[in-house]
This record gives sequence, structure tokens and C-alpha cells, in this order.
Amino acid sequence: MSRALALKPGTGTALVRHIILFIVAAITLVPVIWVAAAGFRTQISLLIGEFLFTPVMTNFTEVLFSKTSDFLLNYRNSLIVGIASTILCVGTATLAAWSLNRMDWPKWVVHVFLAWALVFHMIPSIALAGAWFGMMRTIGLDNSFLGLILAHAVLNLPMALWLMAVFVRDVPVELVEAARIDGAGTPTILGQVVLPIIAPGLAATSVLTFLFSWNEFAVALTLTMKQTATVPVAIAKFAQDYEIQYTQMAASAALSILPALVLLLVAQRFIVKGLTNGAVK
Amino acid sequence: MRRTVEQFRGSTAMAQVTIRNVKKSFGAVDVIHGVSIDIKDGEFVILVGPSGCGKSTLLRMIAGLEQISAGDIEIGSRVVNDLPPKERDIAMVFQNYALYPHMTVADNMGFSLKLARVSKDEIKTRVARAAEILGLQPLLERYPRQLSGGQRQRVAMGRAIVRDPQVFLFDEPLSNLDAKLRVAMRTEIKELHQRLKTTTIYVTHDQIEAMTMADKIVVMRDGVVEQVGAPLDLYDRPENLFVAGFIGSPSMNLIKGKIEGGKFQADGGGVFPLASVPAGYEGKRVIYGTRPEHFVFGAPDGIEAKVVVVEPTGSESMVLSRVGTTELTTVFRERVMARPGETIRISPDTRLVHLFDEASGKRIVSAH
Repeated sequence: MSRALALKPGTGTALVRHIILFIVAAITLVPVIWVAAAGFRTQISLLIGEFLFTPVMTNFTEVLFSKTSDFLLNYRNSLIVGIASTILCVGTATLAAWSLNRMDWPKWVVHVFLAWALVFHMIPSIALAGAWFGMMRTIGLDNSFLGLILAHAVLNLPMALWLMAVFVRDVPVELVEAARIDGAGTPTILGQVVLPIIAPGLAATSVLTFLFSWNEFAVALTLTMKQTATVPVAIAKFAQDYEIQYTQMAASAALSILPALVLLLVAQRFIVKGLTNGAVK
Repeated sequence: MRRTVEQFRGSTAMAQVTIRNVKKSFGAVDVIHGVSIDIKDGEFVILVGPSGCGKSTLLRMIAGLEQISAGDIEIGSRVVNDLPPKERDIAMVFQNYALYPHMTVADNMGFSLKLARVSKDEIKTRVARAAEILGLQPLLERYPRQLSGGQRQRVAMGRAIVRDPQVFLFDEPLSNLDAKLRVAMRTEIKELHQRLKTTTIYVTHDQIEAMTMADKIVVMRDGVVEQVGAPLDLYDRPENLFVAGFIGSPSMNLIKGKIEGGKFQADGGGVFPLASVPAGYEGKRVIYGTRPEHFVFGAPDGIEAKVVVVEPTGSESMVLSRVGTTELTTVFRERVMARPGETIRISPDTRLVHLFDEASGKRIVSAH
């Protein structure tokens, strides 16, 4: 009796909860599925709005293997820029976070530094793109990977710094002191004590940084040309003056989701663990 | 086992610690105002005091985790003021153990040796030896999160003894343990010290820990050393009101009043006996100190006191009573069946009465 009473409200809430989850999942997934599905349609089928269609592979083969398409090159470019800017950005952020938390700065320096990082993060990247183009041109880094890597690292640095500052702060000070008494210098403390402990946080920050770089459009568009263009830039190029190649655009968009998807599946555990770390002791 | 211990002590030279007029200030705030302590080789010294008295800061200065603002700290016969922690030949056990969470027990214990580039075989032998001393052999491959509080504490000690340092530093190592385990670990640490005979400096705010474990206690308050001495010396002859009130549990009754006609007249009422009046104190204001356990129950010529609360513990009875408005805490070996409101007769043992100057708080005389 009591069991039935206990179960009843439980099942009711569970049902409501699942309906809500279903709606949220649908809102998130339907556009992605629609875009992916559009990649398998012909342009005509898409434009007349057929609901049931015969899937074709031409869009994908066109995007991937046609002589006029640079998509694989763009893919490679995005990987290079994404990986390099993530390493640069997260590495810098971790060292900065260590310095801010553990090197006896006056409190106001730390606060001003972090606040400034946040203010910088609020500037729309498009506002910086023009200025950066001029600067990169002056020092000869326009249309180069290095230019875009630097730009992406800088764009993501505030977020990475804020995240890493929290993770580093949560490493108990006694562990660092114990290591110092055990005979470790700062590089050893960082490498052998702090990094292994904040690994989940580091992974989470890296994944987010990589994804932001992977998706970044405005600055990439400004700083790259045909040879160095990244995937978002390439996708945008399907919209030309006289024709918008919706289906090829959809096919490349679907392809561009893949690395993010793989990364998230692999690192999901870390991201959840890393971003909720320290919230509950 | 004995041989194991001797191997540990083999390389250690004489390790006395001398703290000479050491001061510490954080910005404009002085937290330690010139402390001097001599610690002999092999001695177990406990720094005790209420929180904020500077005892942990002093320990951290000995460890090299805090800069010394003035004065000298010597370990062995070397001034270590400007040496980094790793060159001071000390090991420290932290309150929250500070075990590396991503390393096994064996790796935790061997970390300092690995950093000192000791060979793998040598590390293994030394870790095994320390594990044997502390009974940690079955846990060597476990991670800290898989251990209980007491086991973590023991690993933290293992990490310290593996290094065979000249000095062990303990920073409130037992305060995260439950009461029962604390008593057990207290014994274990004391026994470990008796076996290793390594100079040990131990910080605690718990005066029972200090009394039971130390060869020598340093009582600190507000960055000043109040008294240094063997546990029973501090108990028998506290040099001032602070030490009198701090050492001993339940704490000493400290009653304000003055000496008149060879007896002590309490401000709150009640006349207390004295063995003798110290020279020049007749008619002067003093503080009369007597420990709860130094009363005789039911003495016919005793002071009349009104019972407030009786707390029997089985082995003894604690009685809180009032003489006039003066509150008295007393502890008797016999069972006291008095009810609240009843009058009992109690009499302090005059040989064990302490008198303190009211103005300076300093001890005037002890009858023994």
C-alpha cells in the first residue's frame, strides 16, 4: 500500500520529466537532423519542400572530391588552427591562472586582471576583426595560420582563463606546500601535482576552446584567403551572388559537425566532471 | 623491527632546533613578537595555544613555507632562514594530510625520494620499511580516496618518515579525526617518536594532546611564548593566569578577591584558606587559583557551597557550585549524590593553591 503510494507520484513526475526532456532534445536535434537530411537531397527536392525524398550522395561527393571543392583543405586548416590555438590558449590560461592564484599578487591586481579579461570577452569579435586584419598585414601574418591561431587563442583566452582560474584555485594549497617540502620546484609542482589533479578541468576547457575556434567565423573570414580558409568560411562561400547551393552547404555543415561530435562523445565525461568540480565538495 | 628503526636513524646527525627572537609580520600586522625556543635533539615539543596565537605560523616558518621577518632559526647548527623547505631536511604532516590524490600510497610516500633522484630499488626498500613500521603494507597500491581517515593520517606520517629527516613537523595532525581515533593515533605518534627518536615539533590547540604527548610544551598566546616546560611543570606551576587557565581540564578556578587576616576573601563572597601569606601581600588584591580536582569533599570545616549542577561520569563526579556569587567547578573521585540547591562543604587543598598578582597576572607563590 505504502509502496504504491510512494510509486504513484514518482511515476507522474518521471513522465513529466521525460516529456520535458523530449521537447528539449527535439528543439536541439531537429535542426541538426534537418540540415544533415538536406545534405542528402537534391536542390530541387529541397526547394519544392518534398517531405519524403530519395536520398542522394552527390552533395557529399561533390563537396569532398570535386576538383572545384577545397573542402578537405578547409577541414585540415580548421584542424590545424583549432588544435594549435587550443594548445596556445589553454597553456597560457593555465600558467596565468597559476600565477593569479598562487603567486601572492595583491588582491586588486587579480580582480582587475580577471575583470578586464571579462570586458574583453564582451567585445564582439567582429569589432576586432578589422583592426587585427590591419595589424596582421603590417607584420605579414595575414593569410597565414599563425595569424589566425594567435587571433583565436586571444579570443578564447578570457573564457579559458576564467575556467582555469577556478580549477587551479580548487587545488588545495597544502598539496602544493607538501610538494614543495618534498623537494619539488614550480615546474615539477605544476607538471606532476597540479596538472594531474586538474586534468578533467583542463580537458573540459580544451574541448570548449577547440569548439569555439572550430566554429569561429568573423575573424577567420577576415584573416584568411583561399589557401587558409577554415570550414565555417568555406560553408559560407556556398552562398554566392547568383546561386545559393543549399544542399552542398548542408552537406558540408553536416560534415563539419563530425569532429565536435566525436570530441564531445569522448570527452563528455571530463566536461561534466570538470565543469561541476568544486561545486560540491 | 628494532633493526629497521635503527637503519632509519643511521644517517641522522644531531638535530637540535634553535629559534632565536623570531618575529613575523604580515604587512603592518605583527603576528609573532620575538619568540625564542630551544629544542634538543630527539625532543618531542608541542606548540599549543588558542587559534590565532601564531603557533602554526611559527611551524610554517620552521618548515620554510613562510618568510621570517626577523630573528634566526637553526636546524642542526645551520641557520636556515633563507633556505627553501627542501634544503632544511625536515618533513611535515599537514592537518588535512595533503596526500597527492592521483598517486598510490607507495608513490605518495616515495615522491620526495623520486625528486631527489634516489634509485627505484632504493625507493622501494625505504617505502617498504616505512610501511612496515606503520603497518601500511597491504595498502601500498591503493589511492588516498580508498583509505579511511586514520589510514590517510598514517600514510602522511609514512611520507614523512621515508625521508629520514632531521626534524618532523606536525600541524594539528589529529583534528580531522573522530574522538576515538584521535586517542588511538595520539598513542601511535608518541610510540613512533619513542622508536625513531627524531626531533619533533607538533602544533595543536588541544591541551590534552599537548599534556599527553610532549616532552616539552610551549604555550603561546598572541604571538608571545607564555611559558615553556614539561607538561607536569606547567600543570603544577603555571607562571601566569593564562597558562593556569589554559592547561588542565576542566580548567582552574580563578577567583578575584583580596588577602585579609591570612585568608583569601573572594569578591563574590566566601573565605578561602591559605597555607601562608606571601610576603607583602597582606591586604593586597590577588587572584586565587585552585584546580577542580584539588578539593576535599565533605570536610567538616569546609566552605559552604550551594550545588548548581552535578555531572557524574562514573569514575568521578563534576560538581558546579556557588559560594555567594563565586562559581566553583570541582571534581571528586567519590560519588556525589547532592541535588541542585543543596549545600555541601568543600575545602581546597591549601598546599595546591596558586596565587596570582591581579595587576600583572604573574604567579606569586605556590605552597609546594
